Amino acid sequence: VISRNDSRSAGKLFKSAIATAGLLLSAYLLWKLRSLIVPVVVGGLVAYICRPLIAHLERFRMPRSAAIGLLLVLFVLAVLFIAGRIAAVIPKETAAIELKVHGLYKFNENYRVLMGLDPSLKKGNRFYRLAHEDTEPIVDWINRQLALTPEEQSLFLALHPGGPDVPAGSDRLLDYHRANRKTLKLRARRPHAEVGGEGRAPKGPPQAPSPAMKGPLATLGKFLSAWIIAPLVFVFLLSDAGEIKSGLLSAVPNRLFEPAVRVLEDLDRALGSYLRGLFLECALLGLSVTVLLVIVGVSPRWAITIGIFTGATDVIPYMGSAVALLGGLAYALLAEEIHPLLPMVNPGNFVMWILAAVILAEALKNVYEPIVLGGAASLHPLVVLIGVVGAGMLFGIAGMLLAVPVITVFKVFVSSTARQLKAYGLV
Amino acid sequence: MKSPKKKSPLAGFKNILIPLQKVRQFMETSGPAKVMYGQVSETAIGERGRDLVDFLKEVSLFTDLAQGDLRRIARIVHERVYRDGEFIFEQGTPGAALYVLRGGMVEILRKKRDGEEIPLAMLEPPASFEELAAVGAEVVHWASARAHGPVSVVAIGRSDLDALSHNFPSLANKILMNLAQVIAFQLRMLLEAEYFHEESKP
Repeated sequence: VISRNDSRSAGKLFKSAIATAGLLLSAYLLWKLRSLIVPVVVGGLVAYICRPLIAHLERFRMPRSAAIGLLLVLFVLAVLFIAGRIAAVIPKETAAIELKVHGLYKFNENYRVLMGLDPSLKKGNRFYRLAHEDTEPIVDWINRQLALTPEEQSLFLALHPGGPDVPAGSDRLLDYHRANRKTLKLRARRPHAEVGGEGRAPKGPPQAPSPAMKGPLATLGKFLSAWIIAPLVFVFLLSDAGEIKSGLLSAVPNRLFEPAVRVLEDLDRALGSYLRGLFLECALLGLSVTVLLVIVGVSPRWAITIGIFTGATDVIPYMGSAVALLGGLAYALLAEEIHPLLPMVNPGNFVMWILAAVILAEALKNVYEPIVLGGAASLHPLVVLIGVVGAGMLFGIAGMLLAVPVITVFKVFVSSTARQLKAYGLV
Repeated sequence: MKSPKKKSPLAGFKNILIPLQKVRQFMETSGPAKVMYGQVSETAIGERGRDLVDFLKEVSLFTDLAQGDLRRIARIVHERVYRDGEFIFEQGTPGAALYVLRGGMVEILRKKRDGEEIPLAMLEPPASFEELAAVGAEVVHWASARAHGPVSVVAIGRSDLDALSHNFPSLANKILMNLAQVIAFQLRMLLEAEYFHEESKP
């Protein structure tokens, strides 16, 4: 005879086993489908941002489905436009080779001036003597990356024929190429040099292409297969006029109904103010960087590009300013001429002015951040660091971009739930 | 010119909210069994199958709203079902939603410090209650609401009304106007019951 207590404990055990199995299965599925998480979150966040727009269109008596369709078309056009702009910025094969020649020359030239190097590249100023053990391996690595391969060299020379009879000064890029070859040879002669010289095969065994690198079409297909879900999530969530919230709340027991309503209210308010604030902050930082870079002499076309990338990556704390700094320095390295609006800026101190512009933009951000963001994202810096790095390891760049919004939502959810349960006397 | 078919927002409202005196009278004359079971079978069970939009049309708060507006509201409301004796909300807890009774009866009661429960009103469909929670930022339930028999209600969260007023201001404005009238009417009824009850007797 089985007693009532035995059957109760058996029932509890069975429920616990089912719950554990469900949790494990959910975790397994989440891990297996992790490539879908970022597109789903992106689609959801964009839909959330667009909700007021849909409501605005509906107010003008436009049917909801038509308003969603209109927004979707606008998004597709915007994505095509941005992709077109990116494709226009990415140099073609010959232009990329010329850019490498240009970049290597400018980099070595700026390094030579900074370190006060003699023509043999063996003696320099005090700063060189102090730091060369640390800087030289980095400079060698950059030289290795920018050195032309044999195929690139032959292609370059086909475009810029450079026999011994071609005088110096007749072709700027050819002069750069000759200077690069000379520098690479000098670097290769130094003791413990890691530069193999131009035209040599790269060190190390040749690497077999990874499955993901089989071809651009395969890569694009893999990328699209996961990201195709983002517009579907976008349409699905925008089509919802409250049914999802009602569905969620219908699963809540009666005694938890009012606390759940208040938690969702807190989440909605926090997410809305955080996303609006973040969008405004990124836009303001991008604008500040663009204007300041134009003032110090960066061409407007490149200043706008750097500003857009700065704004887009500022979702990751400090990343926007880092992108602005790297972009500005890369421009300073490669620019042939500058057109500053300030009379005191010249090619000699251009890098310092770029640095000053980025520092000023970051300082301005610290002024308007409390105004536009308020306390919406008052996360501990350590939490942000661990979250961003962890999400980056799991989901790549997109994970890093989404880490802070997701952590913010999670934080609001936990704190609001605890507060409401306490207010309703449930804990 | 006003259409003669249009109902006043307060039409039928007098039959919805039963003040304390009427509750006592009802309890004395009809007996607890009738209060508990008498009308529930006709309301709670009968209402359950009805279309939500048709039901909302009858609610004082949503009088004068177009069919499209009612459909919009039907999408954001939360339908809840309570068992006999179950609390819909309890005195002293924060308010988060206003409720419209769809089926069954709901008893509004307030607990004294010594724990004694004082019945304040017995509600019938389509009464709305706890309207202040929908408009006030930090409202605490002044009384409790308890189901008398099986009850079905329609709840509208304060955030739902906030979103409505942000996205569809004219619709929210109509609801808030009706809400103000309902609250004003409740106040007048309360004053009448308290001070002029004897005078109104024939």
